[in-house]
Amino acid sequence: MKWLIFGPEIYFLAVAVGFLILSMRRLNGRRDFSTALFLAGLGVAVTLATVQLEGSLLYGAYRVDLFSQVFKGLLSIGFFLVVCLCSNLNGIQEARHSEFYFLLTTCTLGMMLLVSSQELLTMYVALELTSYSLYALVPMRSGAGQQMEAGIKYFLIGIATSALMLFGMASLFAATQTTLISELSFKLPGLLNTPMAFIGLLLTLCGFFFKLALFPFHVWAPSVYQGAANQVTAFVATATKVIAMAMLARLVSTSDGNASLAHVLIALAIISMTYGNLVALVQKDFKRLLAYSAIAHAGYALIGILSMNPTGYAAAVFYAFAYLAMTFTCFLVVVKVASDGRDIAIIQLAGLHRRSPLLAMALLGAVFSLGGIPPTIGFTGKFLVFTAAMQRGYFLLVLIAMINVVVSLYYYIQVVKAAFLLEPGEALPAINLSPPARILTAMMIVVIVGGGIFPRYLFQLAGAAVQALP
Amino acid sequence: MSMEFTGFPYLSAILLSCVVGLLVILFIPPERESLVKWVSLAFSGIALALSIYVFCAYDRAHGGLQFVEKLLWVEPLGINYFNGADGFNLPLILLTGIVHFTGVLTMWELRGRVKEFFAFAFVLVLGVFGFFMSMDLFFLFVWYDVSLFPMYPLIAIWGTTRKEYGALKLFLYLLAGSALVLPGIVYIAVASGLHTFDILALMQAGALTPGQQKFAFLLFYLGFGILAGVWPFHTWSPVGHVAAPTSVSMIHAGVLMKVGAFGILRVGIFLCPLGWEYWAPVMAILATIGIIYGVFVGLTQTDLKYVVAYSSVSHMGIVGLGLSTVTAEGLNGAVFQMFAHGIMTALLFSSLGYIYDKTHTKLIPDLGGMSKVMPVASGYFIVAALAGMGVPGFASFWAEVTVFISTLKVYPALGALAICALVLSALYMLRVVQKTFYGQRNERFAHLPDVSFGLGLPRMILVATMLLFGLFPRLMLDLVQTAVIPFMGGLPR
Repeated sequence: MKWLIFGPEIYFLAVAVGFLILSMRRLNGRRDFSTALFLAGLGVAVTLATVQLEGSLLYGAYRVDLFSQVFKGLLSIGFFLVVCLCSNLNGIQEARHSEFYFLLTTCTLGMMLLVSSQELLTMYVALELTSYSLYALVPMRSGAGQQMEAGIKYFLIGIATSALMLFGMASLFAATQTTLISELSFKLPGLLNTPMAFIGLLLTLCGFFFKLALFPFHVWAPSVYQGAANQVTAFVATATKVIAMAMLARLVSTSDGNASLAHVLIALAIISMTYGNLVALVQKDFKRLLAYSAIAHAGYALIGILSMNPTGYAAAVFYAFAYLAMTFTCFLVVVKVASDGRDIAIIQLAGLHRRSPLLAMALLGAVFSLGGIPPTIGFTGKFLVFTAAMQRGYFLLVLIAMINVVVSLYYYIQVVKAAFLLEPGEALPAINLSPPARILTAMMIVVIVGGGIFPRYLFQLAGAAVQALP
Repeated sequence: MSMEFTGFPYLSAILLSCVVGLLVILFIPPERESLVKWVSLAFSGIALALSIYVFCAYDRAHGGLQFVEKLLWVEPLGINYFNGADGFNLPLILLTGIVHFTGVLTMWELRGRVKEFFAFAFVLVLGVFGFFMSMDLFFLFVWYDVSLFPMYPLIAIWGTTRKEYGALKLFLYLLAGSALVLPGIVYIAVASGLHTFDILALMQAGALTPGQQKFAFLLFYLGFGILAGVWPFHTWSPVGHVAAPTSVSMIHAGVLMKVGAFGILRVGIFLCPLGWEYWAPVMAILATIGIIYGVFVGLTQTDLKYVVAYSSVSHMGIVGLGLSTVTAEGLNGAVFQMFAHGIMTALLFSSLGYIYDKTHTKLIPDLGGMSKVMPVASGYFIVAALAGMGVPGFASFWAEVTVFISTLKVYPALGALAICALVLSALYMLRVVQKTFYGQRNERFAHLPDVSFGLGLPRMILVATMLLFGLFPRLMLDLVQTAVIPFMGGLPR
């Protein structure tokens, strides 16, 4: 029964194969949605059922522990939520819907493998499975060329960072003669003062900086966010970010609190926050705005990781969850407002409070949560991250981050202003949400506010999960 | 889960009445406007009744922290849900109850998006109540921000003059303040080595070194000072006051600015007493400049709301001056002044709001002779203006006298300057009263109705409160004294 701990992976593999077969038969795509929704819901159940399991497979290259299982749970939830958005998958041709679900599933599978991999090559293979699914997903949108630009940008920068990462892994192997994370965490702390090990670790991290859209690997984010279909963007913006945070935490924890690494990460965090927030100030397109806000949030999340203490890693896990919830809610609004699958400018949110009060409230919560205003989950996440950094004495970093928060509020408030204050040029019809969509929206509001007011259990879970880190 | 409650949780009940009020309003269909108003009135009434009860039931002979409610919230971080009432926050809890209740009454004639207005107002007041009663730094900050963010929609949607600009400026300024406060709070919790956000635990002598206290106090003073309207960080306040709808101006000037001053007191002074003593002269100078500046800028304004707004800057300077004396009388006067100014300024904005609603102008040259058109409405404004000048018989007289006596002892020169400035303030208030309410009657407004009994009710409550505490100042001073004396006695010297 040893393979039971492999349950979520096997399940998602089976789902992927199922969609592969469906895609070959080219049937009516309309039934795909209900199938996918059912399978995704079941996937959440399967994954959550295995949260408590622990074990090791493939000679230590693959380990199942609370840390990996918590993230697999988050991934399956993220996958489910994104599938929930696909009831009007108008950005993608109907004939391709099965392929869309297939690629979405393989991508999720890749990330699940990634978060459990304890060995550099396994990690690389899993990451490539994730990336190649996304390379195909991004340009899948039907439209006039914008998606191709996004796809090519994503692909080129993706393979470039893959190359960097491979080079880094090779250096790490050369320095430590091992590819196992467990052995790395013994050998690496002593070796990090040598350039080869240090550069090796840093370049290995680059692969995940890319996924997190951290400066200087952020250039793909605005184009991809805008160019990809809204549902794909929602997936890129939530699930892949969560996993990047997890992997960064896992890799950085092998360095055992190395100060030079921390300094490099501090620099990246500050630049990323500042750059993302400043450029976001002038954005007109809502998805593009979210892309720059994601760059800024990559910086905030990194603060937790670079603190390199248990509170910091736990804060990063908490932040990952918070980020998933609030970003998803933004995309929920995007998908519902742009029901024909187009991009929306911020100004097109005008009159939302009249068209759908519930969506407007959800947007208010999500945007204020992104801006870090209590009592939302986003504030609690930032608070935890800052506490961790302060424990290491990074006062200035916290102050810079807080100033960034205030800067970011300017553009978040523009979104609120559009939704609550501005009136559209011509009268727009009300947005009718189906009852399940209503429940989903209300649930997201509850999660965002509830997670901010009662962070206790979530934080304890995060704290327990990071004990599995070296 | 460890819990500690001394009897019925009255303080949480106040918060709960706001939460329940909010939820009930959210489930009322938006077109049933009068129902929304009645529900708001009912729940703000419950909150007011509870705050009056807490104010009266506080055992003054015993003193200390009473009505304590403590609940472990996030154990690994040392966060507690910890509420308590003492002589410092009771006046302000009462103030919030009164101003919110009268604010709801003042907005009785609101049209358009009524449901959202009262919903946001409940969020705002919830944050303010929570802030005043919280004894845990984490919650204190959460409540602080909860009270700030509704200001943006409240002003930007229902406001008047340059409302979007005013709302945005106010919002960004106040959150910039929180950008200093949050690092300060986390710094204190971590630097003390106690890993708790419990204010009482952090107050223990020796938790922070003098250097840490000086540094952290500066963060708190600047961060909360923005909200308290400390010169030169006050510029958001006149713009915001003028743009805001009447009841929001009332809550804003009456209560929210006190949140800033109280933050300096509860967080800055409580946790960093050495920093307080170190920075006190700077506080005194900034406060005096604020008083004088407010008076002189107020003298030249032609917009009634700007006049009142600058008088707020000036009066909040008196609070700052009281805090800066580092004496028991100074603290006592400062807390009393927070209360007195809150009531007075709420009355000013409330009576002005009525005149604006009817005439649609608040420019002094356009008005004139209003006391012949609407004698009762004008009466309320004149009463408030007299209170603002510090005429004996009103609460603010005692507060100002207490502050000035203690200031003259500690900073004779600054105190004398501030008193001179306040004499001038009498001049500008009288100028406004004379130009607006006396003189030639403006025929354009001759047909306008005077304030009715229902709409006059909130103003009557406010006048009555001012008179009550003006005629019996010991009701307030003795209460504050129960907190000030042990606190000053416990300071490290």
